[in-house]
Amino acid sequence: MNKNKNISPIDRREFLKKCGTIIAGGTILGAGGLLAAKIKGKDADLFWQIDHELCTQCGRCETDCVLPVSAVKCFHANKVCGYCDLCGGYYRSSVKDLNTAAENMMCPTGAIARKFVEEPYFEYTIDEKLCNGCGKCVKGCGSFGNGSLYLQIQQDLCLNCNECQISKVCVSDAIKRVSKKNAYKLKESV
Amino acid sequence: MTMTKRVLFSAMAAMSSLEAFCVARFPKPDFDSGYQYPDIEHPVPWENFWNILDIVLLTVMMGIVAWAIHKKESRKAIFCVSIISVLYFGFFRNGCVCSVGSLQNVVLAFTDPTYNLPWFVLLLFILPIVFTLIFGRVFCAGVCPLGALQEIVNIKNFRISRAVSQALSVIPWIYLGFAILYAATRSQFIICRFDPFIGIFRFGGDIGMIVFGITLLLLSMVVARPFCQFLCPYGALLSIFGKFAIKKMEVTRKGCINCTLCHNSCPVDALRPPYANKQKEERSAGVKRLIMYFLILPIITAACSFLVGLNSENLSRANKDVHLYDMIQAQEENPDMEMPMEVVAFHELGNSVDELAAKVDDIQKQFSIYSYIVGALIGFVIGIKLINLSVKRTRKTYEIDYSACVACGKCFDYCPQNMSPLTHSSRSAFFLRKASKDDKLAKNGGIHTEKTEKRAPYPPKEELIE
Ligand code: SF4
Ligand code: SF4
Ligand code: SF4
Ligand code: SF4
Repeated sequence: MNKNKNISPIDRREFLKKCGTIIAGGTILGAGGLLAAKIKGKDADLFWQIDHELCTQCGRCETDCVLPVSAVKCFHANKVCGYCDLCGGYYRSSVKDLNTAAENMMCPTGAIARKFVEEPYFEYTIDEKLCNGCGKCVKGCGSFGNGSLYLQIQQDLCLNCNECQISKVCVSDAIKRVSKKNAYKLKESV
Repeated sequence: MTMTKRVLFSAMAAMSSLEAFCVARFPKPDFDSGYQYPDIEHPVPWENFWNILDIVLLTVMMGIVAWAIHKKESRKAIFCVSIISVLYFGFFRNGCVCSVGSLQNVVLAFTDPTYNLPWFVLLLFILPIVFTLIFGRVFCAGVCPLGALQEIVNIKNFRISRAVSQALSVIPWIYLGFAILYAATRSQFIICRFDPFIGIFRFGGDIGMIVFGITLLLLSMVVARPFCQFLCPYGALLSIFGKFAIKKMEVTRKGCINCTLCHNSCPVDALRPPYANKQKEERSAGVKRLIMYFLILPIITAACSFLVGLNSENLSRANKDVHLYDMIQAQEENPDMEMPMEVVAFHELGNSVDELAAKVDDIQKQFSIYSYIVGALIGFVIGIKLINLSVKRTRKTYEIDYSACVACGKCFDYCPQNMSPLTHSSRSAFFLRKASKDDKLAKNGGIHTEKTEKRAPYPPKEELIE
């Protein structure tokens, strides 16, 4: 009691502030240490990618990416492709005449190019600059062809959002974090 | 030929299964022409370099601000830092991931052992806190792109009444609470989702948020830093560390002379005028007050905890899995209803409803635990704020409220003590004019008149010494 009286309120306030500083510093050190112990080095899952085995081409990849044109692009696995003339990803399923008129094309942006290889094979390539990730061709190829078209997030375009906006609306929960080593989940062969 | 193709086509359509896997309906072609498969390279992310640059710049810029407010006592450098921050962290790096949002990653790392916390996110989170504990809120001063953007557009400074701003300052804590709740349950990163300025930095995104962001920016032209003062959850966290900062900034190192010139210079109302407590409190009354506080605080804490805790089920609806389960149930009850896309995909992928139900149960349990904790946190903060309002401290001179001060350095220019003696007489006239524009009370050249004394009840020296 006596001791207390000798301490002026100013000193007491200073003392309390010192205590606060020490507690705050301790908290930082403690929490920082705990968290630092959890950090994984190189193979931490830092990048967003689509698991094409789960993707059902709902179309939200096109509409929900934060970028004006989605970072999701159609990839083409040549080694899986049948090189068909009648491509389910190239033509709409309801086409009347098999010609390359725009109304017959599956892709709304004309991102799929086709090149004659040899009878009866055609090579298909995707122009990533045009593709908006709508997944229409992927659905067509998956339903009628070998499923060689599939959607992937193109890592150099993706902003690597702290939380991928598409992953929050993806109907099949197909977008997950992957490590740099597995930045793409590619279809290599059947 | 076309006819056969057409037949083939429709036959394929019929046999097409719903799954879009590689199914090899057609054999691998044998090319005779020596065709080679094209080699397609997919660009790999180049993130590491940028992340290192982010952290280096963050540290250097906070260092510059610390130097500017503690050594140089000038705002110029801070303003430059603000511009660099908006350009680099904002427009160039698209404002993501930022320190404000990183607190959610940190919460998630604590609650979810499977989550990998990236090293740079941890640094983004912890470096500003460390700097704040040492130098005050130097991160907020100009390094944070959100704060810097609001600071740059600010031209006028209408003061909100203290009662209103105190009441509103609870919002960041409520926001923080819910951000923790949704991050801990791995439901949503609401700070990222509702970041008002990210749409501006990216020139795109959710239209609603862009409109909100622009509104906030327009508002910050006339009210300083509305987001920082009344929304930012990370700022709420930093305010604690700022309060206990080791090195605290002063308006002037030469000692305040109570000229009142700086009174209105602070954009966040952190400059507290001198104040004399008229009645001296009895010791017993003080003890009684203390006991009262110790009773009131737990009551408010518990009340808020229950309020939030009892609503945990509603709160959990924002979780994707819970929402999906609700949709499936609604669908089962009412089979005529058009199936939502999510439910179609759920069945298409052959997922089991029972597994989902178990998962949802788990999530809801987590929600109920965390919402009690978060409610308690919110209640505790409200309690502390109430107590703070009722505590009146004597101040002899102008003092900075270090929890609110964002270290912007705007007050330096207003203090006549900061002027060199040579320029004092000529410049003080200028500064008096400058200050009087903001503070009509200072029209008398900072000399105490009846009016100013009423505004800042500062007792004569003898009274204080007693
Ligand atoms: S949102 Fe999901 S299901 Fe829809 S297209 Fe994208 S990855 Fe596929
Ligand atoms: S159909 Fe859609 S996903 Fe396929 S290439 Fe065209 S834009 Fe891309
Ligand atoms: S992380 Fe962001 S930029 Fe990348 S795909 Fe998702 S929403 Fe688009
Ligand atoms: S209060 Fe929040 S938004 Fe404002 S500068 Fe500080 S961290 Fe940034």
